Amino acid sequence: MLLALVAAHLVLACALPAVAARSTRAAFGLAAVLPAVTLVWAAAMAPAVLGGAAVEENLAWAPALHLTFDVRLDALALVMIVLVSGVGAVILAYSAFYFGRRSPDASRTSALLLFFAGAMLGLVVADDLLTLYVFWELTSIASFLLVGQSGLHRANRRAAVQALLVTVFGGLSMLLGFVLVGESAGTYRISAIVASPPTGGAVTAGIVLILLGVLTKSAQAPFHPWLPAAMAAPTPVSGYLHAASMVKAGVFLVARLSPAFASSAEWWLPLVVLGLATMLIGGWRALGATDLKRLLAFGTVSQLGFLMVLFAVGGRLAAVAGAALLLAHGLFKATLFLVVGTVDKVTGTREIGALSGLGRAMPGLAAASALAAASMAGIPPLLGFVAKEAAFEAFLLEGGLRGGVVEVGLVAGSVLTVAYSARFLWGAFATKPGVDPVTPAPASPGLTVPLWITSLAGLVLGLVAPVAAVLAEAYGDTLPARTAEEAGYHLALWHGFNLALGLSAVALAGGLLLHTGRDRVAALTRRLHHRVSAQRGYELVVSGLERLAVLVTGRLQVGSLPVYLATVLLMVIALPGIGLVLGWAWPGDVPVVHEWIQIPLGIVVVAAALAMVRARRRFTAVLLVGAVGYGIGGLFIVDGAPDLALAQFLVETLALVAFVFVLRRLPAHFTERRRPRRAIQVRKGVLAAVAGITVGVFGIVLSGARTAPATASEEFVRLAPETGATNIISAILVDFRALDTVGEITVLLVAASGTASLVLATRHDRRRRGKVRASGSGTPAHEKEVSG
Amino acid sequence: MSAEDTRVPWPRWDSPTEDWMLPGDCPVTSERTLLLELAARILFPAVLVFSLYLLLVGHYGPGGGFSGGLVAGLAFVLRHIAGGSSEGAEIGARIRVRPPVVVGVGLCVAVVTALVPAAFGAPVLSSTKVSVHVPLLGEFEIVSSLALDVGVYLLIVGVVLDLLRSLGSGIERDALDAESEAAS
Amino acid sequence: MTTVSLAMAVVVAALYAVGFYLLLQRSLMRVLLGVVVLGHGANLLLQLTGGPPARPPILGGSAEGSAPLADPLPQALALTAVVITFAMTTYLLALGYRSWVLVGHDEVQDDLEDRRIARRRTPTASMGEEADEQGDEVGVDPGSAAASGDPVGDRS
Repeated sequence: MLLALVAAHLVLACALPAVAARSTRAAFGLAAVLPAVTLVWAAAMAPAVLGGAAVEENLAWAPALHLTFDVRLDALALVMIVLVSGVGAVILAYSAFYFGRRSPDASRTSALLLFFAGAMLGLVVADDLLTLYVFWELTSIASFLLVGQSGLHRANRRAAVQALLVTVFGGLSMLLGFVLVGESAGTYRISAIVASPPTGGAVTAGIVLILLGVLTKSAQAPFHPWLPAAMAAPTPVSGYLHAASMVKAGVFLVARLSPAFASSAEWWLPLVVLGLATMLIGGWRALGATDLKRLLAFGTVSQLGFLMVLFAVGGRLAAVAGAALLLAHGLFKATLFLVVGTVDKVTGTREIGALSGLGRAMPGLAAASALAAASMAGIPPLLGFVAKEAAFEAFLLEGGLRGGVVEVGLVAGSVLTVAYSARFLWGAFATKPGVDPVTPAPASPGLTVPLWITSLAGLVLGLVAPVAAVLAEAYGDTLPARTAEEAGYHLALWHGFNLALGLSAVALAGGLLLHTGRDRVAALTRRLHHRVSAQRGYELVVSGLERLAVLVTGRLQVGSLPVYLATVLLMVIALPGIGLVLGWAWPGDVPVVHEWIQIPLGIVVVAAALAMVRARRRFTAVLLVGAVGYGIGGLFIVDGAPDLALAQFLVETLALVAFVFVLRRLPAHFTERRRPRRAIQVRKGVLAAVAGITVGVFGIVLSGARTAPATASEEFVRLAPETGATNIISAILVDFRALDTVGEITVLLVAASGTASLVLATRHDRRRRGKVRASGSGTPAHEKEVSG
Repeated sequence: MSAEDTRVPWPRWDSPTEDWMLPGDCPVTSERTLLLELAARILFPAVLVFSLYLLLVGHYGPGGGFSGGLVAGLAFVLRHIAGGSSEGAEIGARIRVRPPVVVGVGLCVAVVTALVPAAFGAPVLSSTKVSVHVPLLGEFEIVSSLALDVGVYLLIVGVVLDLLRSLGSGIERDALDAESEAAS
Repeated sequence: MTTVSLAMAVVVAALYAVGFYLLLQRSLMRVLLGVVVLGHGANLLLQLTGGPPARPPILGGSAEGSAPLADPLPQALALTAVVITFAMTTYLLALGYRSWVLVGHDEVQDDLEDRRIARRRTPTASMGEEADEQGDEVGVDPGSAAASGDPVGDRS
């Protein structure tokens, strides 16, 4: 069922454009049904799953390679399905009213959103590292296409490429990490790896590589800039992919693997440090944003850092808090994005400076936003507060250096969170002095009802905390609790007056204080920004890579055939040559010569070959190559290969004839239009000589590696009479290896056709041009350009 | 006309004035030499027969389809040079067979030879021996793989003829065209 | 057990060296001759590895059993190689001839496009464009609701 649901998403996505051609609203509506069904099914399975019976399915993908699609529905997957399918259904329904009926983007967006929902569903239920990787990259691609939109806008293209480059770079290194971990563990099943985590150097390297994937996907510093840039996508897309679900993939993977690796420092240390840094940077940058959507994007970055810290440390309570916050964040951030979409839709702007008096004009929208923002700020009785209380409590209980540092960081981050939550509400709805109040167009129910659903869900889950607690604690219980107190903690709205509540109050007060000085803070964030920023770093890296590519291409691909060949030759000399020298094994029994007749024949061959180098006339060179060929034929006879020698003599003669045919029309001397410089010729000579000598030495050394005397291929000799032949060569050619012969004569046919085409094409050209042109007089324009 | 004009130019002092020495029906061309024409007249049939001998003897001694084909090809090369004709690439002027057809026939023979065993349920390219009794000459043992050799022979002859057509006559014609243009 | 004698190794080395040298030249005819010489060298090396000089691999006859038989397999392979080298030679010849007819010489030219790239210092377009750079593009913010609404022209 689970696999079928995933497949249904992908299949229906392909069919959606056909529906959208008739009605875009119907397309989005239809797309929303499937995630809703998934959510209902997951809810139906929830009691059994939370009772400890995870739903498992698998489908053989490439059995020979042990590749299977393994899926598993457990508590963590359930939490994620609420976000992926629940929030997904809401946002798809909202999109039906957000996109215009004739909008050219609607058709593509509906299909891609549903495709993404399917890929994301596959990702969260995957129980196999490679299955997870496949879906992981599918979500990256969906994100690229959704951010890029029609590709007509520069901002879309730039943001899409940035998102793709960053996340796919991370994804690829993660794949390497998966392979290292999977091979060390002997299995790619996540549940099996978590049950008995592998150890060793390869695993450590694998963890670091996996973390790269996690950090890029979840937009952690210093990879975070792609997320604010991705706000170039339509607002529902941003709300779904870049707030509620896709960016959670990194956090989700940390949550998945924490039970296995949280005890090792290379796992939690980078995550905690970067997570805290991201939480602070994101919160700080959100205070400077003037665009509501960018504000939320930086807020998302900040919250992702928070989540990362909670899941990375691998304690029970921190994980419970993390799961609760995961749920809370998905709900309130989706609400806020939809609010921004509606505000944008009815007023035509998202700029804080241009919006004024909207709260009075649209009190309902303001109320829904206030609920969501309060959940974000951690104000009771909302789910965000419940989660944040648990988080504070977790690190208070942990204590020690790590607990202390993280606690301070979280409180500081929460102060910023409260401040930007307040800034959002103020920016969107407050009546600002000196700004004309906006007069919003009437909003259709379709633009407000969905966001009320998610907003109220946050309130209800906060008030009835035990419902969320069941889900969150079912996941948290897979992690060890350090103390009895931690083990006994349950998510609840009210834990009495304790230090955690005090910290929440501190965060609230600090945040509101920061908000009162918003103008100075915003100015400060802008002043501190720019010179050194992660975005600048990304641009430098990409443009640096491009320059390097141009430089390398320019150096390596110079377009000169001799240079390429020389490079190949150098490699031939260098790589096997070094091996030859290092493993020097000169055979002791190298005979000077086997038969004395070989000496004069050899001298003829060598002399003719060397003379070719000096030959200035073409005809001389051709005659010399003929001499070489006949000399070789002689050597074949001496070697006891009359068949070979016969063929050699005949071929050599024919080749000479062919050469002479062509030479009739070519100039008598070799024509070099630019005389090659002597130094270059000498260099070529040295290179060729060294390469030739290398080959000769190889011949001796390798033939010396024989362990038995050279004997005839005995099977051929033994079986030859059966073919009715006494000439074993003939038996090999037409019988034992007859297929080779058929292939060979095919090559001859191809070569002859090629030759005929090349020569006769000349004549054909002339006939077509209608007039006879002196051959050798043509000089195409490109030729002039090359020779300057 | 002066006396000098009636004299034969020195490169043509041995040009035959009769047609009978030309092999087959080769059209007469300007550049003819007695020596080559005589040699071609005498050698051509002999070399062809020798090439057939090489083809047949291949199973028992040096030779085979490759060598036989090349030798036959050389015979045609000799004829081409002696005839000097732009149309000299055909096998005998009477039987006008285009070289690519010969090449194709050769490959077809080889491929059919390869496939025929499959029709009898044997693996592709397997061979068998057949004993034939020829009156007067006695028992002969013929190997089916000889057909493959024949295919190779035909193909190589075809390839050489095709070369004569392209590199030989083709280039010659180009040269003539260029000359006539230079003259005009 | 060495099958390649010193003298033959020298011949092979000389053939390869000359072949490589000719291959590195600009004249297509020299390159072609280089290929032919390399082919000779390779065939000789192939044949030499089969073993020292021995009786031709033909059964029967008077010398039966008196001397070792030469290895037939390298010979058969070399024979195939010889014929294929010939086919390639004719093809390259035609190529050189055509080059001469078309451009008036048979020289190997440098690739023009490659040279252009080599002359360039920086890429013409970059994927890492700066964020603030909006270029000459004006119009709606692509992420706004207006961009996702109905096309402006249809609204009436």
